[in-house]
Amino acid sequence: MNSEVDPLLRLHPAAMVINALKSIRRLISASALPGIFVLFSQGLSPLTIALVLLGAGVLVVLAALWGFLSWRATTYGVVGGSFRLRQGVFQKSERTIPLEHVQSVDTVQGIVQRAFGVYEVRVETAGGGTSEPDASLPALGRGATEALRRGIEGSRRVPVGAEEEASGPEILRRLSTRDLLVAGATSGQIGIALSLLAVGSQVFDEFFSEAFFRNLVESLAPNALILALILTPAVALFAWLLAIAGTVLAHFGFTLSRDGEFLYIKRGLLERREATIPLGRIQAVRVSEGLLRQPFGLASLRVESAGYGEDAGVSAVMFPLLPRGEVQALLRRAAPEFAVAPPLNPLPRRALRRYVFRSTVPALFLAAAGTLIPLLVFDVAFGLPALLLVPLFALYGWLRFRDAGWALEGDRLVVRSRSLARVTAVAPRRRLQSRSIFQSPFQRRLRLASFGTEVASGVGGSALEVEDIGFDDARRLVEALSARVPFRAGREDAGGEKRPA
Amino acid sequence: MKDEPSERLDPRAKVVWRISGALNMLPLLAGAGFASFVLLRWVEASVFIGILPVLGVLVLAVFSVVVAPGLRWRRWRYEIRPDEVDLQRGVWWVSRTLVPLARIQHVDTRQGPLQRRYGLSTVVFHTAAGPNQIPELSAPIAAEARDRIADLTREQDEL
Repeated sequence: MNSEVDPLLRLHPAAMVINALKSIRRLISASALPGIFVLFSQGLSPLTIALVLLGAGVLVVLAALWGFLSWRATTYGVVGGSFRLRQGVFQKSERTIPLEHVQSVDTVQGIVQRAFGVYEVRVETAGGGTSEPDASLPALGRGATEALRRGIEGSRRVPVGAEEEASGPEILRRLSTRDLLVAGATSGQIGIALSLLAVGSQVFDEFFSEAFFRNLVESLAPNALILALILTPAVALFAWLLAIAGTVLAHFGFTLSRDGEFLYIKRGLLERREATIPLGRIQAVRVSEGLLRQPFGLASLRVESAGYGEDAGVSAVMFPLLPRGEVQALLRRAAPEFAVAPPLNPLPRRALRRYVFRSTVPALFLAAAGTLIPLLVFDVAFGLPALLLVPLFALYGWLRFRDAGWALEGDRLVVRSRSLARVTAVAPRRRLQSRSIFQSPFQRRLRLASFGTEVASGVGGSALEVEDIGFDDARRLVEALSARVPFRAGREDAGGEKRPA
Repeated sequence: MKDEPSERLDPRAKVVWRISGALNMLPLLAGAGFASFVLLRWVEASVFIGILPVLGVLVLAVFSVVVAPGLRWRRWRYEIRPDEVDLQRGVWWVSRTLVPLARIQHVDTRQGPLQRRYGLSTVVFHTAAGPNQIPELSAPIAAEARDRIADLTREQDEL
């Protein structure tokens, strides 16, 4: 490697520390549980403490050595139209990614990286998806990061006529702290937080004896009902705060900017992430209005992007919270192809009873179980309020019916549906990978059908669907979206589609 | 849009589906047999209740071996047109899917052991959103369909 002039570069020396920490973390997580078990079962004799300390010392030295060796073995660079990465202390590997296969150059700045002022750079690939793994460089200085980015993206950047002040990315929108908190408070991730709490309480159980709990419970409230009344809101409140904290961690300082044909997203409180989305790879945009957000006229924006790397779920957030009225303005600047909000064709009236029926059936079961079981077992009718579920779910069915709709605007398909959150999806016709009509025997009787289409997303597909549209509308929609019809004719078709179903 | 795609699957598909349906039912039947055994032997349930699991699985088996393959075959249709592949399938839930040839990335044919026995094979074509398939065509027809899709896809790319 040293004999000839090597155009490849080394990582920032901080990579040694980062690699060392990474291997320490791996070893610790592998040995933590058995270690703790041994410690507690054997008691804390001086000998065991000495052994543990000795083990820890050896571990640190080995990890440091490994960090240095792997730093020395890792080189990267852009050579002859492709990105190269050489790695491996014992088993050498060299990865070559042709520049045209590079989807984006993303950076992540974890706490350790921030301490050293370096970035973890991820070269994400597109296309094959699974077969071509991405390359990750654990530590690059700011200058080196920018240089690599220019080296990779510069070669692909198409000079656009209107792009005169190509001085750098233009910031489109920044999430204010107030909006960040509102986003957390309305995120509807309380469910996830609750399940986390449940797991946490199990761990908690392991550490405190049952007697402790019993004493706590007995001294706190002799009446179980009162305890439940106190505890339930407390747990819910805690889960809610947890959900807010999660949102703050992930979306702090969320900034969306655009530079020519690329969107840049920066976010994160402890871990700063910077992701690139090439405009040309966006397959669909979804405007999502959560149950808690819709009453306040708030929405969030997501993108479906082809061949986009590992944490597609998170990185697909284009903007976490903005007033619904400003969505179109932002889209016009960020991804103009997706900035459409045509009046939607509603579903035919006869679809309403299917929507109501579908959402009421589970409620009926729940209500029946909720009322009958207490009645039979305890001979009390305190399950009766469960009956209230039925009109509530029927209302939900009606909402789903009212919100569902579709439209063709030029060569773009717009569909809207609700499953808790009301989601409006926009996809251009040339991004549709397939179009389907589904029909059950019940739908056939009512001359209804479900229309669905798929766009590429991540390594698989993502569906855009509307249930129970008129069968003839579904057929016309499939026809109008066919590749055969030229785009102009598509527009005329769209005009023709506008009559109410 | 046409009412139905023009081509059908190979009639031997029904035989293959019957056999694979029966094979799929075996573990379920074993489970049901065990459940019945437990009910009769240890729970000491009445005979009528005890044989319910086995009876249920048998009804399911009759449906999936005797009834479903015929219905399924009658519904399954496909057509490879110059611009799109048209698929129709489903016993109760009928689905009709159109895949533009311009979106197809690659095509292959596949043959399981049972299919090989009956000279059938499955054409699988992939778009960026995942695979679609035309199952149970006779091997030469499948090969022809595969090559035709590949050729048409190339043509679409050149346009």
